[in-house]
Amino acid sequence: MKLRLFLLLFAFAAGIALAQDAGYAVRQTELKQEPYSDAATAGTLPERAQVKIVARQGGWLKIESASGAGWVRMLAIRTGATDGAGGDSGLKQLFNVARSGSSGTAVATGVRGLDKERIRNAQPNTAELARMEQFAASQADAERFASGAGLAVQTIDYLPAPDSAGPAAR
Amino acid sequence: MTSRAAIAGSILAFALASAPVSAQFRFDLNRIIDTAKTLTQASAEVSESQEVDIGRQYAAVLLGAAPLVRDPELQRYVNTLGRWVALHAERPALAWHFGVLDSDNVNAFATPGGFVLITKGLLARTRSEAELANVLAHEIAHVVKKHHLNAIRKGAGMQAGVNILGDYVAQGSRNPEIARRLVSGMKEVMLRGLDQDDELEADRMGVVIAARSGYDPYGLPAVLQTLSAMNPQDSGLALLFATHPAPGARLDALDAAMDARLERHAGSARGSAEFERVTRRK
Repeated sequence: MKLRLFLLLFAFAAGIALAQDAGYAVRQTELKQEPYSDAATAGTLPERAQVKIVARQGGWLKIESASGAGWVRMLAIRTGATDGAGGDSGLKQLFNVARSGSSGTAVATGVRGLDKERIRNAQPNTAELARMEQFAASQADAERFASGAGLAVQTIDYLPAPDSAGPAAR
Repeated sequence: MTSRAAIAGSILAFALASAPVSAQFRFDLNRIIDTAKTLTQASAEVSESQEVDIGRQYAAVLLGAAPLVRDPELQRYVNTLGRWVALHAERPALAWHFGVLDSDNVNAFATPGGFVLITKGLLARTRSEAELANVLAHEIAHVVKKHHLNAIRKGAGMQAGVNILGDYVAQGSRNPEIARRLVSGMKEVMLRGLDQDDELEADRMGVVIAARSGYDPYGLPAVLQTLSAMNPQDSGLALLFATHPAPGARLDALDAAMDARLERHAGSARGSAEFERVTRRK
């Protein structure tokens, strides 16, 4: 009986681990063979199709779905459940507990809170502020870092605010 | 006392309704309007050094709620990365400061004048330097647009007819009562959050600032997808979710704004090897 409970918990945890990479299409979108807009089309992903996210490259996600596998535009996909991820939170909590309990590297949230209560009661910490200020980087530091990392500066205008008349007409 | 005030109010209302507007009353009304104008102007003209002073106090309150992670290398790394990203927004010369808070909660904060703090919990959920750069760029946009000053001015700053920013500009924070009210106004903004449109604007600006800095602008949508895949009941997300539009709504807005405009920058860097080393992923 204890073993059965353990297996049940294990099954929940395993299912949720997969569910973390789950998503759905917010609109009908093309499935591409490569992560480029001019790549060959591998099929069509219908609106609300459930997908499993396998990888990301730039603005593209590699997915697997009932309609086939391939690359889709990242912003055509939302993560979580189609219904807004309401029902399975308890299971996910169970999973979080299980994971943080079994591994030192997993992150358990909410252990040390920066929550509303903490902020309400916070007293200004000027010693910590002085510590923060001592780590400041100069423009020269930043430029040295960027050239070491091979970062190429681009000239790009800000995006206009979309019409407030509702979701994108695409 | 309350009923006396009510009676006085009724008498005033009756006087306003029935009596011809007297010169005396018109004078008083003009004086009230003038005072209101002065206060509004005063709060609109927060100088840069006052803004930095407010921001330092704001940051000190956040650091009072959670200290910095005791890792100088990590702190220097986020300062260098953050400074680089900030060079590609409108206020490159500001004395920018960045820090990682020792909290498992998932959140990031900016304060006026260029102080940006990210929690260890959110840092742990970014999967590349590009994602971290996009988060910092979102916060940098708040600073550049002075969204926090707007929030203090509009919301908490007008409690019971008290103009926190106006009083601060007029008298400085040496007056303990003004200092106390300023801190309470800042806390109010931290708890209630910014204007939701300001959050969406910071998202739209953040992806562009990150792309200008040479990073993949899809780092921000990637972080938002990570957040929306998390359990929304997770207590570590409570404050972030209470103060920001839902990640799905933010993705919808970015989807509409980005369209394919930034697609050619999607191949930009995902980051330096330093990210992996300093955040101890490998």
